[in-house]
Amino acid sequence: MNTEVIGPSATATPPDPERAPTERRFRGRSVFHPFVWLPTTVLLLILGAGWTAVAEAHPYILPRLGEVGRTLLENPALFLGNAWATLSIALTGVAVGAVSAFVLAVLMSEVPVVRRALMPIAVVLNVTPVVAITPALVVAFGFGMAPKVIVTAIITFFPVLINVTTGLSSVPPTVLQVFQTLNASRWEVLLRLRLPGSLPYTLAALRVVLPLSVVGAVVAEFVAAGSSGGLGTMIRNSASTARLDFVYAAVTCLAAMGLTMLALVTAIEHRVLFWHESRRHSSG
Amino acid sequence: MTSDDIEIRHLTKRYRGGAYDRPALQDIDLEIPHRRFVSLIGPSGCGKSTLLRVMAGLTVPDHGRVSLFGRTPREMCRRKAIGLVPQTPALLPWLNVRQNIALPTLVNRRRGTSHESTDDLLRAVGLEDSAHRYPHQLSGGMSQRVAIARALGLRPDVLLMDEPFSALDEFTREALRMQLLELWQRRATTVVFVTHSVHEAVVLSDRIVVMSARPGRIHDVLDVDLPRPREREVVSDSRTHEVEGRVRASLRSAWSSGINPTELVAP
Repeated sequence: MNTEVIGPSATATPPDPERAPTERRFRGRSVFHPFVWLPTTVLLLILGAGWTAVAEAHPYILPRLGEVGRTLLENPALFLGNAWATLSIALTGVAVGAVSAFVLAVLMSEVPVVRRALMPIAVVLNVTPVVAITPALVVAFGFGMAPKVIVTAIITFFPVLINVTTGLSSVPPTVLQVFQTLNASRWEVLLRLRLPGSLPYTLAALRVVLPLSVVGAVVAEFVAAGSSGGLGTMIRNSASTARLDFVYAAVTCLAAMGLTMLALVTAIEHRVLFWHESRRHSSG
Repeated sequence: MTSDDIEIRHLTKRYRGGAYDRPALQDIDLEIPHRRFVSLIGPSGCGKSTLLRVMAGLTVPDHGRVSLFGRTPREMCRRKAIGLVPQTPALLPWLNVRQNIALPTLVNRRRGTSHESTDDLLRAVGLEDSAHRYPHQLSGGMSQRVAIARALGLRPDVLLMDEPFSALDEFTREALRMQLLELWQRRATTVVFVTHSVHEAVVLSDRIVVMSARPGRIHDVLDVDLPRPREREVVSDSRTHEVEGRVRASLRSAWSSGINPTELVAP
């Protein structure tokens, strides 16, 4: 069965306990050191120059960067409102998809029959391009939030399910043996061992699934562009009237949204996973 | 037969599909007196760790009976009367040293056994200054001390240790052996200690059980008549070397008896 795991790699060997944590090569160099920001900045300048060259010659291929910026600054309420519409769909979808996947993962790890029943269906669901059923969902549920939330929830479901399932079963056998000699109940093993142990895997899944939820919401909006707003709807409508500045301004908003989500998960990981290998060298 | 000792009778454990289909343990008979320190030693594959797991109630034997002071291993687990120190420290990485040591008191709470105070345990293993550190901030030796403190915390009737020092360097091992001796002499619980180090077995034990492999059997039981308490001087004593010599001789004959000459030829 295809059980692709994202995040804390199962193959990574635990660090040698006798060896002191190796110093990071660039440790102590802040973001403000040219060593850190210079390469990216140079690359961005080159890309920006290339973009501008194309935009000057063919304004129907790329809009001028200045125009995109002006569009954003001149219509803050419009973009914020549409961004909020898309964000609320994405977040509602993630909440539904990730929470139900988490609960099912716990059930699957505790009740083998549930695992055997659900796993094949989940895999089939994962390989199905779910966005393809969006038109059908629109027919069934109308142009409101429901079909968009459903699509987003289905897209975010599988990565969380697989990762949490892996996390729950990643308990070292020796730790389990210590719990067994204490006659710990299944509930105690779940609560004190499996759930905390699965936290790195759960957060790694969120890292993937939160940006993915924005993709789900936008694609759903493309298909179900109706009365309600959203950046996806905006992109579709602007493209049909050849307003590329609006399209790219909306894409910029989406990128900012994704970055914020990623920063949020990273901050949570930093706080909660101080004990985990993945955080060990980066925390000061 | 008394119920004051650990008694193992006609114990056989076979792993299905194993090489040669030989039992991992065959017809083991063993008595371990109350409050003694007993080591199991033997070549790899002799079943010493399997025997320990059977005593811990983690593995069910095919035949035979295990009685820990008149109770089955599972009954002992229910009473939280077994302390297990695995080969790796097996600490919970999200709990600090103090919380890891106190863990057994939080699990299976209905069985409210008496336990040592966490502060006393921290002091006993010399980690009072590290109480708030997390496992990834500890050295291997410190981690194993935490594991020992965790196992001792519930005042177990029997402490089962599965090669607990095998991953440590020789200096740390030596220090931990002395510390374990001191801890044990104060508490006087029964210890079953699996090791592959002859020196370690002699220094620590009252009795050494030499096992042979394929099938896993008890080859010999040697008593160690070195005086207690065993300080550093005793450890390098000529009598210690003499006992080590006896154990090594026994291991040699266990090794040759356990291997069929035909198996030495590659198939």
